[in-house]
Amino acid sequence: MLTLEDSVKITTSKGEERWAYWLLVLPAVLLYFAVITFPTIFSIYLSMTNFSGGQLFGSELTFVGVRHYIEMFKDPYFWLALKNNFYIILVSVFGQIPIGFALAYVLFRKLVGLQSFFQTMVYLPNTISTIVIGVMFQSFFSPYGAYTELLKKINPTYENTLMLDPNLAMIPVLIVILWMYTGYYMIIFLANLQKIDISVIEATKIDGANEWQTLRYVILPALSGVIVTTAILAISGSLKSFDLIFAMTAGNPARRTSVLSIYMFDNAFRGAPNYPLANAISTFMVVLSLLLIIIIQKLEQRFGGRE
Amino acid sequence: MKKPYRLGFSDFLGKILLYGVFWIFTFLTIYPLFWLVMSSFKTTQAFQMDRLGLPNPFFFGNYPMAWKIGKFDILFGNSLFYTITTTLAVLLFSFMAGFAFAKIKSKATGWLYKSFVIGILLTLQSIMVPLFLVTNAVGLYNTRLGILIPYIGIGLPMGVYLGTEFIKSIPDALIESARIDGASYGRIFASIVVPMTKPVAITLSILTFTGIWNEFMLINILASKETIKSLPVGILKFSGALATDYGKQFAALTIGMVPMLVFYLIFRKQITQGVSAGAVKG
Repeated sequence: MLTLEDSVKITTSKGEERWAYWLLVLPAVLLYFAVITFPTIFSIYLSMTNFSGGQLFGSELTFVGVRHYIEMFKDPYFWLALKNNFYIILVSVFGQIPIGFALAYVLFRKLVGLQSFFQTMVYLPNTISTIVIGVMFQSFFSPYGAYTELLKKINPTYENTLMLDPNLAMIPVLIVILWMYTGYYMIIFLANLQKIDISVIEATKIDGANEWQTLRYVILPALSGVIVTTAILAISGSLKSFDLIFAMTAGNPARRTSVLSIYMFDNAFRGAPNYPLANAISTFMVVLSLLLIIIIQKLEQRFGGRE
Repeated sequence: MKKPYRLGFSDFLGKILLYGVFWIFTFLTIYPLFWLVMSSFKTTQAFQMDRLGLPNPFFFGNYPMAWKIGKFDILFGNSLFYTITTTLAVLLFSFMAGFAFAKIKSKATGWLYKSFVIGILLTLQSIMVPLFLVTNAVGLYNTRLGILIPYIGIGLPMGVYLGTEFIKSIPDALIESARIDGASYGRIFASIVVPMTKPVAITLSILTFTGIWNEFMLINILASKETIKSLPVGILKFSGALATDYGKQFAALTIGMVPMLVFYLIFRKQITQGVSAGAVKG
């Protein structure tokens, strides 16, 4: 039998539960919505208005539809930036990921000694501030930098135009990206290799499989999900690249090393601000990254939940 | 039967090759940094005479000058302030929300939690302009609070995800028995949940600390006042107007690089663990 006292206790307990829930989640939810959700949605709205600075809230904004999206797609600099984003993805997919995997594999199979030392060294560039790296390599590849001096030792008449020639300027940027993030992929592969049951590998060895066969038939299949994840990471990493290029070239010469984020920055903060266009770019990037999220979730369902 | 292992000539060559590859990678990592540090000990004239060699003699004068011009005492103070405050706030708010998501039943959990997980993957760069406009509109441009709020906000998705997943693994019985003893949720959070979150707190602290310490994009657009800038923004000054003063530029870059290198060498294990934990989902 429930007494009146008991039922009061239960309702207050239910009420308390609800109160506790919202008090606990509220700080995180409010901050997250204010910082990420609201600006994202607001940006879609702004991209379709004529807002060009001044008072943001409470002023009358004219709705102009998709005009700024058309402006964006007609802008050659948009395509230039998108192309460079694509180059960065290529460097990841054909550079960082295979090299990172190969290094991780050698460390995992203990084919060399000094594993912890080598791992530390390859990952090290990831820990340094990207701005420091950008400015450092700007000097390193400049006509007065170490790169020029080293090449002059080989060919005394060498003229370094890497950072000045619009057709070449993306090369040093891509080299630095390769330099910085290969270790990141190595760490991801290494962590996932270490989850493979060693006894399975030993069993295939006992059965007479050589190193290649072990890799081909045991290890690669076990890592298929991770390989897909890293490919997605490469694409989102390309969309995220900003700091390095900003510090190293600021998108120059002639805006030839620009990427989408730099292109957006230029439209919003360099020269006369074109906020609607910048917001259109922002929305374009959000859509791209939401597409990636959907792809990842589909792939995760397909490959089964790793962790 | 396992074959007896014999080191053949081709194995030997393979070993040499693999060691060679790793030593090349080590060299490629170290050489630009080594060049940078060595050049920072040359006067600008000495650097222009010899751009590759070791400094002879070592010149230490670039450091005090760069420190003074770059106002590094302010930059370090600000960077520490932003990094420590953000890390503590992210830890607290993430575990609070994680506790509620993992242990208190509510219909809201499904979509709220999912929206945080989406935030892990969302490209932050894409909201730089709207975030600037909103910060400006609410009068927080050029204030410390206007920097801290976005910093905490961008740290939360990963924090809430790691916190919730970890707190789920705490046995329900522990929390239920405390409830029966009459403990409030606040008390359970403080005296049962928080002490148990230590391993994930370390991972999350390291991810947030390194992320915020190196953060540049947001603070670059949210702050123009010298007194509230952080290290990465301050260092960039040496690439613009001061770019030809090589000695000071290299000294400034070295000053900016060393704290994180030391941090990495101390917390190497935890950092690599944290990175792979964060990457599996992100």
